Amino acid sequence: MSEHTQDRTSAPVSRRAFLTAAGATAAVAGFPAVLRAQAREVKVGYLLPVTGPLAFEAGLALNGLTLAAEEINGSGGVKSLGGAKITLLPGDTQNKVELGNSEASRLIDQGAVTVIGTFSSLVAFSVRQVTEKNRTPFLLLACVADNLTEGGLKYTFRMQPNGKAMATLTVSNMFEMAKNANVPIKRVAMMHEDGNFGTTMGNHVEAFSKTMGYELVQRIPYNLRSPDLTSELSKVKASRPDLLIISGYYGDSKIIAETAAKLRIGVSALVGLANAAYSNPKFIAENRELTEHLFDGNYWYNPQSARARAVFEAYQKKFGSTMSNHGVQGYQVMFVLKDSLERAASTDRDKIRDAIAKTNLTDQILTQDAIRFDDSGEGINATPALIQVQNGKPVVVGPARFAEAKPVFPVPKWKG
Amino acid sequence: MTWGLLLQAVVSGLLLGGVYGLVASGLSLIFGVLRIINFAHGAVMMLAMYATYWLFVLAGVDPYLSVIVTAPLFFVLGVVIQKIVIEPNRAAAEHNQLLLTLGLALFFENLALVLWQGDFRTVKVAYSGASFMLGDALVEVTRLVASAGAVLMAVGLFALLRLTDVGKALRALAEEPEGAALVGINVSRIRAASFGLGSACVAAAGALITPFFYVAPDVAESFNIMAFVVVVLGGMGNFVGALAGGFIVGLAESLGAAFLPGSLKQLVVFVIFVLVLLLRPQGIFGGSRGR
Amino acid sequence: MALPPLLPKYHLEVLISVIFWAYLGIAWNLLGGYAGQFSFGHAAFFGIGAYTSTLLLLQAGLTPWIGMLLGGALAAAFGLFEGYLSFRYGLKGPYFSLVTLAFAEMLRVVSVNTKAVGSSLGLVVPSAKAAPAMFMFAGKLPYYYIILVMVGLALALTWKIGRSRLGFSLAAVRENEDAAETAGVDALGTKLRAMALSSFLTALGGTFYAQYFAYIDPTITFGPSVSIGALLPAIVGGAGTVLGPVLGSFVLTPLSELTRYALRGRAGADIMLYGAILVLVISFLPQGIVGLVRERRVRAGRR
Repeated sequence: MSEHTQDRTSAPVSRRAFLTAAGATAAVAGFPAVLRAQAREVKVGYLLPVTGPLAFEAGLALNGLTLAAEEINGSGGVKSLGGAKITLLPGDTQNKVELGNSEASRLIDQGAVTVIGTFSSLVAFSVRQVTEKNRTPFLLLACVADNLTEGGLKYTFRMQPNGKAMATLTVSNMFEMAKNANVPIKRVAMMHEDGNFGTTMGNHVEAFSKTMGYELVQRIPYNLRSPDLTSELSKVKASRPDLLIISGYYGDSKIIAETAAKLRIGVSALVGLANAAYSNPKFIAENRELTEHLFDGNYWYNPQSARARAVFEAYQKKFGSTMSNHGVQGYQVMFVLKDSLERAASTDRDKIRDAIAKTNLTDQILTQDAIRFDDSGEGINATPALIQVQNGKPVVVGPARFAEAKPVFPVPKWKG
Repeated sequence: MTWGLLLQAVVSGLLLGGVYGLVASGLSLIFGVLRIINFAHGAVMMLAMYATYWLFVLAGVDPYLSVIVTAPLFFVLGVVIQKIVIEPNRAAAEHNQLLLTLGLALFFENLALVLWQGDFRTVKVAYSGASFMLGDALVEVTRLVASAGAVLMAVGLFALLRLTDVGKALRALAEEPEGAALVGINVSRIRAASFGLGSACVAAAGALITPFFYVAPDVAESFNIMAFVVVVLGGMGNFVGALAGGFIVGLAESLGAAFLPGSLKQLVVFVIFVLVLLLRPQGIFGGSRGR
Repeated sequence: MALPPLLPKYHLEVLISVIFWAYLGIAWNLLGGYAGQFSFGHAAFFGIGAYTSTLLLLQAGLTPWIGMLLGGALAAAFGLFEGYLSFRYGLKGPYFSLVTLAFAEMLRVVSVNTKAVGSSLGLVVPSAKAAPAMFMFAGKLPYYYIILVMVGLALALTWKIGRSRLGFSLAAVRENEDAAETAGVDALGTKLRAMALSSFLTALGGTFYAQYFAYIDPTITFGPSVSIGALLPAIVGGAGTVLGPVLGSFVLTPLSELTRYALRGRAGADIMLYGAILVLVISFLPQGIVGLVRERRVRAGRR
């Protein structure tokens, strides 16, 4: 498919040195013994809730991983490892902590040189212990909890924006937009599901109110199983906010948007914050009128990038559906690994880890500058995109340098 | 605190309560006659919601009208479940019967996951978005219809139990299990019918809920616990009580949401639940069973 | 028992899991099986144990070895409170089960809404360095030995109780509480003792969990999966028997691993099978595996 010009910072590896390294890796990997000494493949384990309630979304992330792996293998594999192909080792966590642990161990036993996962932060907390103890790089995928990279861990990396980046950058993107439209945002209300994801977002939006110059007039956590959120939204309406931010999952976010519309909530815009529904193509398709002009700050692909568009199309062709943001993440994280493998020129986990730490990847499809990691493993430049649904399509309206359309702000129908 | 907020809380609370009462009436009936706490109740409703969805998507049948099809269908399903799983274990320890229905719940919820995956589906009808304002309070037509349905169901069940032979047999069995057999009631058939009827009720509930909620394998979780609270409040076996209990729970939840911080509204409901269990386990309105 | 050091990491993980759930099952069994009071809310005690030891560790630097005991005491106190209310007001059978469920849920909702205990963000237990005095170990193996010891002690306790006067009272209360009362057994006191022991032990399991998985939050600790997970091994293995929960866990855990692995193509197929198996086990083995074994022996003896 696309040609990537890799930065050849490492000298070509001699065949003999390569074989020795491969042999050493096989011994270290242990059971079940990887007896093929000629590492024609690089085993990469993934840990996702492939079965269970999160299966659908996790499947989308897996699609991204698979697409990337196929693309890599189809264009010559990992060149510095003699064209070694990526082999994905499946791991199913069912979103359970115990399974996350045992699956992580199993993958490492089976020779995975890196583990990618785990979609929900919950499972990631203890998986990172396992990977750290086994000195195996752990690339976080979709996990938002900030403290995942805390604690001095050396093997955990996060490419995408963490909770703090998501929240602060989305809010500042909105403010930027408001400034350009000459519409003041002084009062902000937020509703979030009361679990880890929502609470993380809520904490940040609250913490940054002073520095960013707004008043958080209402912050309402809710249980995502609630069949009715009218009282909560009434409270929001009564506090007369300029903006309503929502961090929720699919069903609850739908109910909120519907109820807010019927209550004529009177805000300049409804903004999702890493919302599972508002930039979700399926949700949009099923709720055309409701979703028009909803905003969402979320991970996305860069519409200005030709490569990104090509990947988008390839996904559509292969899976028959629109690539979601999780798919984008899955795709890109695999290429971060590929890039690191090229530079490490080894399947030794510590060498891979060091290579990942030194990543400076500009050939990527995300709405951010080069992918780089700081000492704790967080992606330094990780930036969420500001997306707005226009004519039934989620389009990037911010940051400005990635935008593909002008935002509609304030949104007339929300103003009430 | 404004009056507008209070009014909205009361209105939404009643509408929500109607929905809870709707879901709970079948559960109450089942408990009244069979004396089992049916953990699979919500799961059966979820299946019925899928049935409603498929009828709508594949045959364009309006959800409200689909009750004509789904209620009898789920009556039969209920009878089958009762005969195959529950009846053979009628003499088992109560806690084992609880676990039976729990196993059924797990089975059905994951059956839906296997068949239709976990993504959310919605039934969008013309009147899905219809709503009007009662003063400052929003009233959604679909929820209003569901609440009206709850009242109708309570009335209907009441009439059924007073006026028909089957109904009288059900009441007899609920009140006097040994005596019922002596007067010639076909006990096993009536027991099956009660589970069937309870399932038909919850299927109708599911059909009325689909226009304003979503359809997914885990919808039961939004209603299961509340249904139990309502049944306890209203008195097990007393489905008119379940309706009233529903309104109480809905109001408590909605008012809790309006005036308590955080997501503590759930706490209000549980506190009421515990208090009723401790102080008046036969329910505020008395059930067919004391303790 | 010497095998574990030789096991690949994955298998050791599963083994620890099996023994852990066996432990919780044994703890639950004291109240549910022996006293016949079916609790659907044992997560309440589990969570109290986990949060107590973890908060004391994080705020006061107290070693979880001691924090564990304090957590146990607190859980026992809560259990006595819950038990006293329930039993004093005559709650039995499903009504008791529902009340225990409600209490666990209330604790969950309260912790979700309490910033001081971390709300939904949970608490991260430090585990980067090994510090045996602080219940932190480098590999998995030490945890294996610890849970093994815990199970051993719990089994010994259960066995001892079964043969004691308390055990006699428990059996009487379980079979027919009214008759027991008439015969002079203090039903309330008996049940409360079972509750206190059961909740104490369950809380210790909570601390183990916190130290082993290094992270706790309201849903993990107070949620229904712990409550259900604690009672299933006992039911499947044989409630009211010493080894029941152990047998049950050794059957259930690998079973769920197996079905999960075998049916991993289809989301949910494994739990569906699990639910079906649960129904079958309850229907055909109401006394659990132990009951089946006993029945066989009795029948064999009769010939």
